[in-house]
Amino acid sequence: MREEKRTKILELLADEAIFGLSDSEKQEFDVLKTEFPELAKDKSFEIAASSINLVETDLREKIPHNLQVKILNDADKFFDSRDAKENTVGSKSKNGETSSTKTKNQPFWQWLGWAVAGAACIALVANIWVTQQTNQETVDGRNPVQTPTPAPDIKAERRVLLAKAGVIQTNWSPVQKDEKISGDVIWSDSEQKGYMRLKGLPVNDKNKQTYQLWIFDKNQDEKTPVDGGIFDVERDGEIIVPINAKLRIKDPKMFAVTVEKPGGVVVSKREKIVALGKVS
Amino acid sequence: MAQAILKRIASGDRTAVQDCLDNYGGLVWSLARKMLPNSEDAEDAVQEIFIEIWKNAVRFEETKSSETTFIAMIARRRLIDRIRKFTRQPGTDSLDKIVYEPTGKDGKEVFASIEAERAAKAMNELKPVQQKVLNLAIVQGHSHSEIAGIMDIPLGSVKTHARRGLMLVRKALEPKDLNTKEVSA
Repeated sequence: MREEKRTKILELLADEAIFGLSDSEKQEFDVLKTEFPELAKDKSFEIAASSINLVETDLREKIPHNLQVKILNDADKFFDSRDAKENTVGSKSKNGETSSTKTKNQPFWQWLGWAVAGAACIALVANIWVTQQTNQETVDGRNPVQTPTPAPDIKAERRVLLAKAGVIQTNWSPVQKDEKISGDVIWSDSEQKGYMRLKGLPVNDKNKQTYQLWIFDKNQDEKTPVDGGIFDVERDGEIIVPINAKLRIKDPKMFAVTVEKPGGVVVSKREKIVALGKVS
Repeated sequence: MAQAILKRIASGDRTAVQDCLDNYGGLVWSLARKMLPNSEDAEDAVQEIFIEIWKNAVRFEETKSSETTFIAMIARRRLIDRIRKFTRQPGTDSLDKIVYEPTGKDGKEVFASIEAERAAKAMNELKPVQQKVLNLAIVQGHSHSEIAGIMDIPLGSVKTHARRGLMLVRKALEPKDLNTKEVSA
């Protein structure tokens, strides 16, 4: 009897690896695993099936670029969530009491902040709902509702580009000693694509000025570097800006960020250069 | 020797994600494309598979299987679940295509892992009917009833050929350096 059961669990292990199991087979499998604990964790059938699969796998096949970007986004979300969980666990005090339980003894005024925040959230949700309803009504009468295309995750796009061959990377350095500008710029000649990562650039007043990137190409006169696009800094912290080169770049030697009038300029007077990235 | 990509992922090294994609993205994509009917399904599955890979990276033990095989195992599990969950269209690959000699650009044999190389040898020693059943099931992702229809043989025979064939390949993978009996993934 035991030998028959052993044969059965081996068959189920093989079936699981090859075809997967139905619900009833899974139930039977679970029962048998309790009787044969040494086989419960056996992965040799799965390894064998996976190895057969790998025999016929085309190693030259490339994962599509857009899918790579999606996966990198997923990874960011996954690791952010895991880090957040770990931080929550890490915030437990020595006696196991979490930080949230400590609020029991907080005075009333400390609760007030939470109450105000809660009310603000409710108001925000209500506002979004009302706005959505209004938009829906407006659209329904004329056109079908369009699903907005999600904006590509610039962070992931940058990482994908950075992983490619032939991409140059250089760090920003501030022009004024008292400025603390950091980050880097990456550029691919073959893809004509690049990104600036900048930290420490002051928030600009859009009505008065804008930032503009200039690319000094080997084949371009130094007096007229290529316009790499304008951008604004709306908040403190790191920003990533895609480069929008107006001409084909062949061999960049230096990148520079200047402050210009709103809308940017065709030729910069270079009165205020805030960051430089020299390609070594 | 560089640290295994999965170990780096398990330790929270986010730079390993891109390395993982560069090294195994094509592999997972290729598996999904073979087993699922269309690119859309394959894309969804590949996203799910990579999340599973991040989750399970901590369970990878390099003494028990190669990283490639570990990732292929995770991929297969997800793909099988998906096939069972949704109705699939049978693949169109010809049965005549069953020759276990993958070749690289230069014509030399190229295998994704040491286990794959051994599996190829073992597969070539199986009976043709076992090879066909395993190819249809494992490589092309057909269910046993679909295979019974394609090969015009009873359902029970499909299972028997598949099990016997897999057990022989499993045996061929057993040698000293791979402790296949207690691999935990």
